Amino acid sequence: MGDLLLVENLLQIFGGRERTYAVDNVSFSMPDEPTIISLVGESGSGKSTIARIILGLLRPTAGRVLYDGTDILTQDRGWNRKFRSEVQAVFQDPYSVYNPVYKAERVLKLVIRKFGLAKNKSEARALMHEALRAVDLRPEEVLGRHPHQLSGGQRQRLMLARVYLIRPKLIIADEPVSMIDAGMRASFLNILQDFRDAQGISTLFITHDLSTAMYLGGEIIVLYQGRIMERGQTRRVMNDPLHPYAQLLISSIPTPDPRKRWKEELSSNRLQEFDPNANPGRERCLFAERCPQVMDRCWDARPILRNPDDEDLHDRGREVACYLYQ
Amino acid sequence: MSGSALLEIRGLSAGLQGRRSITQVVSGVNLDVHGGEILGVVGESGCGKSTLAAAIMRLLVLPQVLQSGTMTMRLEDGKTVELMELPDNELRHLRWRHLSYIPQGSMNSLNPVLRVERQMTDTLIQHGLSKKEALDRSIAALELVNLDTKVLQSYPHELSGGMRQRVIIASAVSMRPALIVADELTTALDVVTQRQILQELAAIRDELGATIILITHDMGVVAQIADRVAVMYAGKIAELGTVNDIFEDPQHPYARGLIGSIPRESGQRVEGLQGEAPSPWNYPTGCRFHPRCPEVFERCNQHTPTLQQRAMDRWVACHLYDAETEFDG
Repeated sequence: MGDLLLVENLLQIFGGRERTYAVDNVSFSMPDEPTIISLVGESGSGKSTIARIILGLLRPTAGRVLYDGTDILTQDRGWNRKFRSEVQAVFQDPYSVYNPVYKAERVLKLVIRKFGLAKNKSEARALMHEALRAVDLRPEEVLGRHPHQLSGGQRQRLMLARVYLIRPKLIIADEPVSMIDAGMRASFLNILQDFRDAQGISTLFITHDLSTAMYLGGEIIVLYQGRIMERGQTRRVMNDPLHPYAQLLISSIPTPDPRKRWKEELSSNRLQEFDPNANPGRERCLFAERCPQVMDRCWDARPILRNPDDEDLHDRGREVACYLYQ
Repeated sequence: MSGSALLEIRGLSAGLQGRRSITQVVSGVNLDVHGGEILGVVGESGCGKSTLAAAIMRLLVLPQVLQSGTMTMRLEDGKTVELMELPDNELRHLRWRHLSYIPQGSMNSLNPVLRVERQMTDTLIQHGLSKKEALDRSIAALELVNLDTKVLQSYPHELSGGMRQRVIIASAVSMRPALIVADELTTALDVVTQRQILQELAAIRDELGATIILITHDMGVVAQIADRVAVMYAGKIAELGTVNDIFEDPQHPYARGLIGSIPRESGQRVEGLQGEAPSPWNYPTGCRFHPRCPEVFERCNQHTPTLQQRAMDRWVACHLYDAETEFDG
C-alpha cells in the first residue's frame, strides 16, 4: 500500500544448460512521495536487467513488478498508456536515442504533439523554451541543431527536457552520466534533485559509479551478482558500509582528493579470480570467495537480507545480507 | 624548464588533415616529463589529450598529422634522441624498449584466436629476443601485474576485462621501457579492479623506475596516483603543477571550474562548468577558454596567454597573472 513501485522477488535467468542468474530474488520498493534511489553494482551485477524488467522490456523468469498497485504485465491498454507516460527512461548513450536526420528538438516536438501539450505553434515554442531552461540549456544553443552538433552533456540534458514536458512520476535512469564529461555531471544530477524537490518526480538511478550515487543522496541499494548485499540511506551506507562487499567497493572509489589516497595495497587473490569453473553453487553467500571475513556458515546457506541484529546499527531502512550481523 | 627532463616537448602541434587545410587539435604544447614521475593529463573529451598521447609516440594515423615541434628524449646511457626527426625504422626499435603506449580500449584488441603467450612473446621476438628470453620476460612481466602464469595458455575471451587489461600492461612493460604512455587505462573497469590496476601501475613505476604519462578524464584517478597534473583545454595546457597544488589551489579558471564541479559529499551541491568545450573547428581567438570564463576581461579575446611559470613546479596560461609575471621579469 502506498508504494509507487514495488519489485517483488524478481528472478531473471538467462541461458539454457549453463544458467546465468542475472537477477536473483531482488525485492525493493519506491514510496509514493518523491525519492531518489540509487541501484549500484559492478558490471554483471544485474542492475540494468532490473531496469529493463521495470520498463517492461524484459519478462522476468519469476517475480513481479507492481506500479501503483498494478502488475506492469497487465494487458489493459489504457493502463499501459498511463504507465508509459508516467514512467520515463533515460539511457546511457545520449546519441543512440536521436534520429540523426532530424533536428534534436524533434524529441520535444513529438512529445508536445503526442500529448497535446500546446494549442498552437507559439505556445509549443514557449513550452520548449521553458523545458530547455529547466535543464540549464540555453534555447539558442540547442534549437535548430542536429544531434551531432550537440555535446553528450547537451544531448543528455535534452532528454531531461523531454522528461520535464511529460512530467512523469518516475524516471528510470540507466547510467545516464557515464558518457558525460565530469564538468557536466554535477549539473545533470542537480536537475534530477530539482525534479524531485520542485516537480515531485522520483528517480531510480542505476550506476556503477558510487561517487555520483553519493552526490545524489537519497537511498542506495548495493547489488552483487544479482543479489542485494546492502541497502539503506546513501549517506549512512557510504560513510559506514556494513557488508564486506560494500566496504570493498566504497574503499575503492578514487576519491578526488590527493590527501585521501588509498592506503594499503589491495590483494587480487590471483587463483580464485582465475578459475571460473570452481562453482560451489548458489546456496551460499556469493561474495564468500572474495570475503576477507569469510566464516564456515557463509558457504552453507544464503544469508537473508535483513536488519542487523545489533540495535546500534538500526538506521531507517538499513538492511544487510551478511552473517556478520545475524 | 630544467634540462634534466626525461622527455622535453616543445611547441608540439598536431591536427586533422582536411582536403585543403589542417585543423589544429593540439596547439604548441610545451611539457617537461620528469624521470620516474606519474604525470596525469586531464581534460574533457575533445580537449586533445589522446591526440597528444599518440603524438608523443609518433603514432598518429591519417587524418591525424603531426605539424611541428620537438620531442627530446633522454636515454639511459645519457644520450638524447629527437623523436620528431627519427626515421621510422629507428623509431620502431625505440618503441617498446624505451617508450611504450597503451592506447584507449586496447584490452579489446587482443587477438581472439591466439593464446596470450604467443601475443606477448611475438613482440619481444620482433625486438630480437630469443624464444626462451621472450618467455622469461613475459613471465616476469605477468608477475608485476599479479597475474598467474597460467594466463599464458589462455585465450583472451577466457579472461575477465581486468585480466585482459593486465595482460596488455604486462606486455607494454615487458621490455622495461623508460616511458609508458597510458590512455584511459581503467575507464572500462569496475572500481575494485581499477584500484588494483592503478596500484599495480604505481608499483611498476617504483620497481622499474619507469615514467608514466596517464591520460584520463577521471579526476579521482589522478588524485589517487599522479605526482603532477597537466590540465588540458582546447588543445593547450591550461595549468601544470603538483597534484596537491592543482587540487587544493587551482589557479586557471578552467582548472578551478573542473575541480569545483567534482561531485563530492551528498548534500553539498556543486555547479557544473557553464557552456560547452569548443571543437577544433571553431577554437575561439585569444584565450580559448574566454567565452566560458567567469573572470574574462578585455585582453582575453585578443591575446593568447602562454604557459608561464608562477612558482616552483607551477605553470599557468592565463592573463589574470600577467602583471605578476611581468613584475617578476
